[in-house]
Amino acid sequence: MKPINWLRLVFATMLAASALFPPQALAQVPGRFYWKNLSGGNALPLIYNSMSGNTNPFDPSHTVSPGGSVDATLAMAGYAHTFTLADRSAMAAVIFPMGRISGQVTAAGNAFNQSASGFGDPTLEFNLNVLGPPAQKNIPDALRYEPGVSIDLLADLALPVGEYDSSKPLNIGQNRWYGRLGMPTIFQIGPWVPGRRTTLEFLPAVWLFGDNDDYVGQTMETDPLFQLDAHLTRDFTSRAWGSLDASWYSGGQATINGVQGEKLNNLGIGFTFGYTVNDSLNLTFGYKSTINDTGPGDLRMDSFMVTLVYGWHPLIEGFKRLEDE
Amino acid sequence: MKTEMRHAMRVIVRKKLQSLLGMLGLVAAVIVPAMAYAEDAPRRPNIVIILADDMGFADMGSFGSEIKTPNLDSLAKAGTRFTNFYTHASCSPTRSMLLSGVDTHLNGLGNMNEWIAPNQAGVPGYEGNLNNRVVTMPQLLKGAGYHTYMVGKWHMGKAPDQIPAARGFERDFSLLDGGGSYWDMTNITAAVPKSLFTEDGRYLTKLPEDYYATKTYTDKLIGFIDANRGDGKPFFAYVAHQAPHDPYHLPRDWRNRHPGEYDKGWDQVRQERLKRQVEMGIMPAGTELAERMWFVPDPIVLAPASRYILGKKMELYAGMVENMDFHVGRLIDHLKKIGEYENTIFIFFGDNGAEGTDLFGMIAGSPGSRDNLYAAITWSQTHPNAWGDPGSWVGYGPMWAQVSMTPFSQFKGQLAEGGIRNALIVSGPNVKRPAGSINDGLMHVADLMPTLLEVAGTSYPKASQPDLPPLIGKSWGPVLAGKADSVRTEQDYLAWEVFGNRAVRQGDWKLRWQLKPYGKSDWELFNLAKDPAERNDLAAQNPDKLKAMLVAWESYVKANNVILPSRGPYDTLEKDMPQRVTVHPGFPPLIYQRQFVPPKEMLADPKP
Repeated sequence: MKPINWLRLVFATMLAASALFPPQALAQVPGRFYWKNLSGGNALPLIYNSMSGNTNPFDPSHTVSPGGSVDATLAMAGYAHTFTLADRSAMAAVIFPMGRISGQVTAAGNAFNQSASGFGDPTLEFNLNVLGPPAQKNIPDALRYEPGVSIDLLADLALPVGEYDSSKPLNIGQNRWYGRLGMPTIFQIGPWVPGRRTTLEFLPAVWLFGDNDDYVGQTMETDPLFQLDAHLTRDFTSRAWGSLDASWYSGGQATINGVQGEKLNNLGIGFTFGYTVNDSLNLTFGYKSTINDTGPGDLRMDSFMVTLVYGWHPLIEGFKRLEDE
Repeated sequence: MKTEMRHAMRVIVRKKLQSLLGMLGLVAAVIVPAMAYAEDAPRRPNIVIILADDMGFADMGSFGSEIKTPNLDSLAKAGTRFTNFYTHASCSPTRSMLLSGVDTHLNGLGNMNEWIAPNQAGVPGYEGNLNNRVVTMPQLLKGAGYHTYMVGKWHMGKAPDQIPAARGFERDFSLLDGGGSYWDMTNITAAVPKSLFTEDGRYLTKLPEDYYATKTYTDKLIGFIDANRGDGKPFFAYVAHQAPHDPYHLPRDWRNRHPGEYDKGWDQVRQERLKRQVEMGIMPAGTELAERMWFVPDPIVLAPASRYILGKKMELYAGMVENMDFHVGRLIDHLKKIGEYENTIFIFFGDNGAEGTDLFGMIAGSPGSRDNLYAAITWSQTHPNAWGDPGSWVGYGPMWAQVSMTPFSQFKGQLAEGGIRNALIVSGPNVKRPAGSINDGLMHVADLMPTLLEVAGTSYPKASQPDLPPLIGKSWGPVLAGKADSVRTEQDYLAWEVFGNRAVRQGDWKLRWQLKPYGKSDWELFNLAKDPAERNDLAAQNPDKLKAMLVAWESYVKANNVILPSRGPYDTLEKDMPQRVTVHPGFPPLIYQRQFVPPKEMLADPKP
């Protein structure tokens, strides 16, 4: 394959993989999310989620409603841009969640059977690599990229401007500030050759939540939630890959008007299949579900997810124009 | 009737007798010296010939390279470097002369097995393998009381009577093919998908565990040496490394030792190597670089991606050379450890010029062809990060081959200096020249036969076997002893022919006839003392010299039954390759222009 074609494939795979995915859905992102690519790249992710469980999937604290039953359709659109900061790879992004939610939940001792729809809380994300290969400032850098052992610092901040109805417990927006600090880590296993790449990836993170002082007329406080995501990813071909995913949640105890809820201590597992359609388009399909969820206070949620990510880089676009001449 | 029968019987008996006597003569030539030298063997030196495959003149640190070759350089430091040493332009012809001392057109490699032309087929001397009319160096050294070992690439025949064990090697671990994977038995084409290996004369059904060619060859040789150490006999080891022949298969930790170093491009690396060569005394001051091949771009016009990809190929090649050097070092260390180093002659050189032809493209480059489909399964690990792995095929192309052959013109397969001149190092007890010295005497690979027979205290059995073809080489004895600077006079000549290309070297002069587009399809004349890069054809200005050298050429043709091939790899090259033009440095100015920066004080915004 010609160098430029390899570049395109590398770019397409990595840009698509590292574009935004929904942090809300099980508060988990697919594997390969934090692979790096050529500085100056852009991506538009379009994500579709179909979820059910006993918690509001738009709320990353996953406050459980014992005996509740919630169905949600969540879509997200976003924009991400990669750049170089102090010779390190960096990414800045914004995500706009939207969707519908309906179900029966209990809040403040009252049962609600309701639905909601609209736009959620936009989230800003910033990610900076601190250990691993230097930023890909040019094409040779991009072609040389191998993550080896790569560690990033990650920060998310959700802005409380989404649709919110204080009379209802199920909302698309969360009416409070929240965010995440994490440390995405990649271990490359074996050669970095499209078709043969294998990685073990971890994302230890802490979610921090402000208070929602108008949660069905009450105040909701939520303790920090520790989350550990793990992914074992493997190429099937140069364009297709799959991963086994797992997430562990601990903490996140919600207190509503002084009444404490349960701490989370749950495990979810799933899988993802990814395919690079062409230079600009990447597709994934995944399913995840909690597994230790038989107790009434256990988090129970499952989710189908389809993502379509469109990525572009001025250089790749230029090559295309030249070829079309 | 009875008379006729009696006559026929007599003829048969005479023929059988002659055949028997001939065999006895050969056996005697082999056995008698063995008996004679059995007692004094320890006094004679061991001999190690290390042959690199497709390695260039300028690829060792001691010949001006940035490639790190500390072990080969240590041999150069202890011994002598030779800068006017010639091989043939391709693999098996060189090897055949090395082991037989006889010209290719008589020893069976009048053409490479892969390219025997219709008018050469069936003619003695053009068998495509080392024929049975020659006696080999290992046969004679074995007869002289040496253990004879071979590891590595053979490429001179695959039939049972053609393999190393049948040609004088007592122990061997050999790749019979001309190339293939370094990791397994995968070969290059759909027609011959599996490489053949022999070990001690048996064809292997599989390779040893943990096989990697360069490492395994070294391991095996060390094992051979150790197995017979106790008997006090000297050994002759022919270490025919496959490295650095493409594909550049290389253990992972050897692949990234020059990251980005070659992104600067081939022109700059050539200039840097030449500068070091001049500083070292490898090339005389004032030496010019050969012109960049007309179809190779100035790297200045390349995009960073292309520079990276092409540079990385050179990184791999450098790794191949360094890995081979490492294993040469293992052998040296082992000989030191067992106390044999001081009594060992080392001879190191490459078998021909560096490879500038896209061998893989030639074989598998046509989509839908048989070999293309084979390559899709077996040779399709094309991502740069897979280079070096099984299933990858990387060759570095003509641009880097020219770097490897700095400062010479062209590369493997051609009879320009870049095809046939190689770096030679000789060290050991027989080398009495100053340690680390450089010699520019005219040397030839076929000289090894008489040289090493002399070292072993034996001789070529021409007297007892008059049918043997004559040796064409001369012993290096006087040069190694420091008693002469060259074994050749101004009248002695060397000559070559392969693929229809021809050349003669006599003194400082070289006569060359190369097919278009690499040559003019006509005779060209160069003065190599003044013009080692063969930039200036002096044929028209020196008709007398041209005529005199043509006489030498005709003499060579006659003596060696040279048959120019009716077909060959150049058949359509002139049409297939870009039209040849002269490459002038700095032309066209268009690509060397820079953005003009006006004086600051004259800058202004547009007026309203």
